[in-house]
Amino acid sequence: MSIGVKVFVGTTCVKHMSKLRIRKPSLESIFVACYTLPMITKLELENLANLARIKLTDEDKDSFVKEFDSVLTYIDQLKKADVPMDAEGRVGAVRNITRLDEVKSISLDDRERLLDEAPHRVGDFIAVKKIL
Amino acid sequence: MPINLKTLTIQFAHEAMKRGDFTAVQLTEAYLGEIANKNKEINAYLEVFADAIDTAKAADLKFKAGTATMLTGIPFGIKDNILIQGKVASAASKILEKYHAPYDATVIEKLKAEGAVFLGRTNMDEFAMGGSTENSAYGSTKNPHDVSRVAGGSSGGSAAAVAMNGALVSLGSDTGGSIRQPASFCGIVGLKPTYGAVSRYGVMAMGSSLDQIGPFGKTVGDCEIIFNAIKGKDVHDGTTIDSSTYPIINQVGKKKPVIGVPWHFLGGDGIDPVVMNLFKAALASFEKAGYEIKEIKLPNISYSLPVYYILMPAEVSSNMSRYDGVKFGLHVDGKNGIDDYFETRHSGLGREVIRRILLGTYVLSSGYYDAYYNRANAVRKMITDDFLKAFGSVDLIATPTAPSPAFKIGEKVSDPIAMYLEDIFTVTANITGMPALSIPCGISKVDDKELPIGLQLTARHGDEKTLFTAGKEFLGEI
Repeated sequence: MSIGVKVFVGTTCVKHMSKLRIRKPSLESIFVACYTLPMITKLELENLANLARIKLTDEDKDSFVKEFDSVLTYIDQLKKADVPMDAEGRVGAVRNITRLDEVKSISLDDRERLLDEAPHRVGDFIAVKKIL
Repeated sequence: MPINLKTLTIQFAHEAMKRGDFTAVQLTEAYLGEIANKNKEINAYLEVFADAIDTAKAADLKFKAGTATMLTGIPFGIKDNILIQGKVASAASKILEKYHAPYDATVIEKLKAEGAVFLGRTNMDEFAMGGSTENSAYGSTKNPHDVSRVAGGSSGGSAAAVAMNGALVSLGSDTGGSIRQPASFCGIVGLKPTYGAVSRYGVMAMGSSLDQIGPFGKTVGDCEIIFNAIKGKDVHDGTTIDSSTYPIINQVGKKKPVIGVPWHFLGGDGIDPVVMNLFKAALASFEKAGYEIKEIKLPNISYSLPVYYILMPAEVSSNMSRYDGVKFGLHVDGKNGIDDYFETRHSGLGREVIRRILLGTYVLSSGYYDAYYNRANAVRKMITDDFLKAFGSVDLIATPTAPSPAFKIGEKVSDPIAMYLEDIFTVTANITGMPALSIPCGISKVDDKELPIGLQLTARHGDEKTLFTAGKEFLGEI
């Protein structure tokens, strides 16, 4: 979509919006509204990676943004589904089951096996860097 | 006596060992020999267990004492995401390269109790994410029918191990088709049980509302024997069911099961014509055997892939958060405690895994949760209701297992959507929780190689029995 067309569409948007007596938006926001955005921005992706606690290189970010586009466009098909207003999702006949909240001890051998897997073990503790 | 691995079944092997035709040790040695010959090329196994012979020796003692059961001495390949105490379980990832399982999965406990032999851990897509086993951090698994092609995924190693006669049977896991699709590509039988039928305790979680463990075998009978051995309610897995969970099967009332086909969904030109021809031929042979074939409509089935690719990454993003380098697995140092996570996960997790974690984080994040995750759950219910309605007039639903035979290595790995579309027929069984079986139904000749094609049958919740009956009849086992 060339700049010229964007401006045309933008001014048309403004014309219609004035007819509806909506406050005239800024030129910048018109462009934003009418320009076809990628489904996810690099900044949004960085935020996701931050939430997921995964470091990404710059190349990673660029290629993920591209791939996300195609995946998100694909899953957006769901918008067409005719979901009834009061729909409540459920997963089959399976529902929550609880057990007694009691401490169960394990054998010393099992305990050793678990502690042995810790990347940084100090005696009977798993060591981590300080948080505060 | 030389053991014919090509035609061996569990029943045959059991009776032969009972009679003394060969010992469990000889049987295990025969498979270890095949693995030694073929695994370098096929890469079905990431590790062959040094103590397989010892387990076989113990099995022979059981035969001598007269206490052997059906699975005693039977050699298994075990997918790398199933925990066997003391053995490495890496889910084909670098982040668990040196992780030793501290306990047995429930399915392993059950097989150990019978004296089954574990030959080794089989290759897979990393953390079960993929449809080709090309996402393994330890190389892809080749299809024994054509080594320039994939074995399928994510349980490609388990399927290839059986197909190459490197195991009599194997265990895999299925979240969106990861047992059935490789079974189809490798020309063997694969079962995804009803959700909850088999305990997931001790199996690395991918999509907790979708995952099931299941068997691979050359015959439906072998899969049935293994299913009966590994199924059951488990106190360690609150989602497990027993035979009382799903009420007595409401038979449609005909002498033989009625098979429904959702033709409206099978018309696309994304489906290989040879697959469609073999599918129709399979239906014709069912008809000849007295099965009625009916057209059914599943109005919301076209939404199953989008539903799956929202719900599965959402659950993945949650399940993968435990791999942080604190209590187990790879640890890479960062500037501080939190930075440790960023570095560890960056170094240890592969591209597809990270892609799905990010996608899941996205669909669960505030502002998108309603539009994606909640919506997908609602549509999941609609799809399940479609299937339940169809099962009012049919007993089985048939489709091809995959839209094509095995594709070439490297063909789809750089196009996520192309890879995801391979799951088109298999994800519904995970979305609905219904059991589904893939059985070989013919071959496609491509570049003078013979590529297997699979037929998929889906049954009502809890009705594996009808799958087994129809499957055995189709393959001429009864």
